[in-house]
Amino acid sequence: MKWLDDNALERLRAAAELPDLGGTRYQVLGRLGHGGMGSVYRVADGVLGREVALKVIAFPDRDGGFADRLVREARILAQLEHPGIVPVHDAGTLPDGRVFYTMKLVNGQRIDEHVQRLAALNEKLRLFQRICEPVAFAHAHGVLHRDLKPQNIMVGPFGEVLVMDWGLSKVIADDALAIPNADSASPGESTTGHGAVLGTPGYMSPEQARGEAATLDRRSDIFSLGAILKGLLDDVEVPIPRRLRAIASKCLESDRTQRYNSVEELAQDIANYLDGLQVKAHPEGPVARLGRWMVKNQAWLLLILAYLVMRTLFIVWKNR
Amino acid sequence: MRDETGIGGRAGGFPSTRQSIVVAAGSNDAQERQQALDMLIAAYWKPVYKYIRLRWGKDNEQAKDLTQEFFTRLLEKEFLQSYDPGRGRLRTFVRVCLDRFLANSENAARRIKRGGELQLVSLDFETAEGELGHAELRSTENVEEFFAKEWTRSLFSNALERLRKECEERGKQVHFRLLELYDVEEGGKDLTYDEVARQLGLKSTDVTNYLAYSRREFRRILLELLRETTANEEEFRREARTLLGLDVS
Amino acid sequence: MNKVWLGLLIGGALGVVDGLTAWFYPAVRSQLLGIVIGSTIKGLIAGVLIGYFARKVKSLALGIIFGLGVGLLLAYAVAAMPDPSGKHYYFEIMIPGGIVGMIVGYATQRFGTGVLQTR
Repeated sequence: MKWLDDNALERLRAAAELPDLGGTRYQVLGRLGHGGMGSVYRVADGVLGREVALKVIAFPDRDGGFADRLVREARILAQLEHPGIVPVHDAGTLPDGRVFYTMKLVNGQRIDEHVQRLAALNEKLRLFQRICEPVAFAHAHGVLHRDLKPQNIMVGPFGEVLVMDWGLSKVIADDALAIPNADSASPGESTTGHGAVLGTPGYMSPEQARGEAATLDRRSDIFSLGAILKGLLDDVEVPIPRRLRAIASKCLESDRTQRYNSVEELAQDIANYLDGLQVKAHPEGPVARLGRWMVKNQAWLLLILAYLVMRTLFIVWKNR
Repeated sequence: MRDETGIGGRAGGFPSTRQSIVVAAGSNDAQERQQALDMLIAAYWKPVYKYIRLRWGKDNEQAKDLTQEFFTRLLEKEFLQSYDPGRGRLRTFVRVCLDRFLANSENAARRIKRGGELQLVSLDFETAEGELGHAELRSTENVEEFFAKEWTRSLFSNALERLRKECEERGKQVHFRLLELYDVEEGGKDLTYDEVARQLGLKSTDVTNYLAYSRREFRRILLELLRETTANEEEFRREARTLLGLDVS
Repeated sequence: MNKVWLGLLIGGALGVVDGLTAWFYPAVRSQLLGIVIGSTIKGLIAGVLIGYFARKVKSLALGIIFGLGVGLLLAYAVAAMPDPSGKHYYFEIMIPGGIVGMIVGYATQRFGTGVLQTR
């Protein structure tokens, strides 16, 4: 018997893990990534002649209807056409019984890798604004994401932001509500008393963690956005201004009535921060506002001050 | 006892009602017991041997004896019956038993082997010793990880071997060869299907199909073996998920 | 509004203000009107020049330096003319004049529409 070294072991393991696409219109080309919910592969679509991303879901399909529900969710999503929303093309069940779905193959980087290249705080904030856009769009059409996190956000070659894995969490949550006592989840996913996989700790809103999947609303996504924002801010070396921290905190309030009511509000506050204006999360007294105005216009103030000082000096000197 | 280090085929087969290997080991039916024990030994003897050598620093003669004695002891003393799946994995349990066994054997005088114990002389200790040349156990390395790794290695090797046999029986040696080329040997990912097709005198599409076949079969066999060597359904599913990200219902 | 007009406006306004400060010098208070007119004209000219410069050269630093230069130069021209009593007020006119030039330079660089801009 041949001895398998560590590399061979890993190769075999990856091979065993490959989705069996025999009989489907897809062909495996390679593996793109590996997440909590399953692995993503680059596959060739034989029918349309293009490459797409195929995600195999590790979540069990107990009643056989998981794939159907995913397709239904995908249809809803297909109505949303926004450059930042990566829709699901196709969903189904593999010959080996696992559920999969396909989506646009995104050439880009995950956002947490991408931001390492950005040094300036303001650049990161502008990136964050671009994340808010597709989410706001979806909310306006009544669609929640429910599982926003850096692993689901990519940045393309032109700086465009793409948010993926829409609807997956909802289908799973609905599934969980219908079928209690789900099997134990893999590490990295959290469970409730129902044993259902709901989201990712750290990015999941408190109401989601409590299992209140049925009553989630936009503010739950806003919580996740706040967690993402906080993540972006954590890597910055300069001290974060209070107003900005207030914005992040407002998103992360445990009581959702205290959070922003809409993503537009959040985005507006970020814009206000960038323009040096007052921010909703951090209402200021007139003194603080004056202080900020002065900092913003310091060039003017210095010049005018210089003029006044010189003038006054001369007047005083001359009239001694 | 079969003279094979691998599990030589599914003759007799493990009951498909997925009886726990632990329960079967304590069964009244001698054949069931034997089969369960064979499974267990085939899956664990190499990790145990290597563990004794590296972790406990025994030389190869000592390790050989100890390995045999360990399995004898494990089965005789019905340690397996005290295994509680709720408290952890079977292989962790085995390792812990091993540690305890080795600690005790340091203290107690060597007892004379009693008759009727299992003869494990047919295990290929030389090969195992040779493989050790590849391995190192750094002092800081987690012993649990090492044992688990070796156990995995055993599992995959056994599965591969079983696949090879099956492919031979069915005249599908080429299929197996393709799996070896791409997924076992180095440099697999640099091979194009066309090159390999030419080399082996096949059509390019055949390469794709045959490879898919052997991968599929490999996974099937791997899961079968895994099922046979885990204590119960629950553990099997957990292991399947960890190992392959698969959920098997 | 374009930069030249902007320069004109600000230069003129600052010129008026600067001229009015002469009121604090009792010695020349009687000539206040003349001073204000002169200062305003100086400001207008400076404003046009600096504004024109801002249309051609887009650099905040250069704009400020140019403004300083123009402000000093024009102020010098005014200061070179003695008042009826024969006194010269070089410092008092030139230094604030230079600063005013800088202010106009800053303003015209940052605001107003340039040559190729569409707002």
